[in-house]
Amino acid sequence: MGNEAVALGALKAGMTFYAGYPITPASEIMHFLAKVKDLEFVHCEDEIASINMIFGASLAGCKTMTATSGPGFSLMQEGLGLGYMAEIPFVIVNTMRVGPSTGMPTLPSQGDVSFACYNSHGDTYPIIFYPNSVEECFKVTIDAFNCAEEARQPVILLMDAFLSHMYEPVDVDNIKVEIKNRDMKKLGSQMGHVTGLISENGKPKTKDPEVYKKWLKYSKEKRDRVADNYKLYEYVEKSDKLIIAYGVTSRVVMDLEGYSIFRPIRLFPVLDELKEVCSKYEDITVVEMNDGQYADILEKELLKKVKRISILGGDINLEDVRKQL
Amino acid sequence: MSENNYRDWIDYDRYPTLWCAGCGIGIMVKYLAQALVELGYEKDEVVIVSGIGCTGRVAGYFHTDSVHGLHGRAIPVAEGIKRGNKKLKVIVVSGDGDLLGIGGNHLLHSLRRDVDITVICYNNEIYGMTGGQMSPTTPTDKFTITSPFGCEYNPVNVHKLISSNNHYFFGRSSVWHVDHLKKVVKESLSHEGFSFVEVIGHCITNNGLRIGFKDAYEMIMTIKKMYKVNTSIESDTDLGVDTK
Repeated sequence: MGNEAVALGALKAGMTFYAGYPITPASEIMHFLAKVKDLEFVHCEDEIASINMIFGASLAGCKTMTATSGPGFSLMQEGLGLGYMAEIPFVIVNTMRVGPSTGMPTLPSQGDVSFACYNSHGDTYPIIFYPNSVEECFKVTIDAFNCAEEARQPVILLMDAFLSHMYEPVDVDNIKVEIKNRDMKKLGSQMGHVTGLISENGKPKTKDPEVYKKWLKYSKEKRDRVADNYKLYEYVEKSDKLIIAYGVTSRVVMDLEGYSIFRPIRLFPVLDELKEVCSKYEDITVVEMNDGQYADILEKELLKKVKRISILGGDINLEDVRKQL
Repeated sequence: MSENNYRDWIDYDRYPTLWCAGCGIGIMVKYLAQALVELGYEKDEVVIVSGIGCTGRVAGYFHTDSVHGLHGRAIPVAEGIKRGNKKLKVIVVSGDGDLLGIGGNHLLHSLRRDVDITVICYNNEIYGMTGGQMSPTTPTDKFTITSPFGCEYNPVNVHKLISSNNHYFFGRSSVWHVDHLKKVVKESLSHEGFSFVEVIGHCITNNGLRIGFKDAYEMIMTIKKMYKVNTSIESDTDLGVDTK
């Protein structure tokens, strides 16, 4: 199951602390981890507590993760911002369901894409991954952990209810992976003062625009530099028409004949390779399970119009896509 | 260790503090530092966690490792740190609005999970940093800028909230009863499990002056008049130290 693969991937990546709150369709990650010995596991009172708890545990030196869906992800926004500001690594899994609000809890969606890409208040520079198979759930979870350690910031792993509950055989023991170890100070070893305020050398500098500009520039450059080490995508060149799809949608459109397909796995920041590929095509269509959110992001990046096909309400059907093309 | 060593625990580079003249938070910080020294803690085994607000800035003035997190979320951060590294002594120092208002849910549940942290709540019955709005502990009928006709609600009964748990430590002291404050803080730090200390304080700038106090001295003397140290630990009253 996709969710179990995420849990296994996290354990493989060296996670020693998990805090979470049950939510469909992410709960199985919790169910699986609750049974793991030697893992500090907390069933929290809410998602706000989850994210703050993994923030604290990460400060104490643990690799940490939490998993949720849209409603919980909304509650986590402030904690995410704290992660960016204080530069603390942790991983958040958001298994998307149809929203807004309680929406359609059991049906898949990709409606949180732009929300995740521009998360928290203020200017933030997120890194987002989105696998499309159970095996990839395992591998990309490890990538997300490595990336968080390298960038010292929260990293988001997007999934959808379909992927979460999909069963596929995976030989996890024979997948070769590289693990990045923690390389930063922790509490109890002169870490100093950790704060959500803009600071310089551990001292708040909340009235100096220059300090803020410097920090923001550094933060953006760091994100771009680290994200460059994780250029994950799949590209099949077949014709002069391009379809861009990710997650479970990409599995559906893979069967379409007469279209080249680009599938970003590192969804955000937008891959340079994707921009390059797009420059070669005039006819570009983005197929996604929302009202054109990634298409909006791409149009901004590419400075040209792309066509969009929206699969709404959690029902994926290749015939529907074909009709709209 | 001599009592004077507590000064090593305070980060004087940060001075002057952002607290107003006449504020009681500094008194609490001093006696917390003294309590830590007297219990023989080393600086690298103590972590101070704060939320947001005037009391939320306490973390920054300690020489230990410290965390200044989000509004209301000091307790989950502290629980994460404690569970992440059980050797650390984790102390939450924050205000009444932070711990009992926005963070009330976390207080309830970390208490229930009985995680081994100490929570010190500076209760000045007001939101000081944001300008003097009504807080969860503002007494009924009291005037604040968001209760201009007097506070309509009953204040949170934090003692009964904490003591509703099976295993708990609740202590209450004030910034006037400083010896007692130190004793209570020391006992709470020695307690295994979730311990809560309510420190009755005052806010002169954004509360006292508006409700008719001349200065901080006058305000602190009302604390002296209102609260008496209760020597009986088994007592059911709301005063003094209560352990079970």
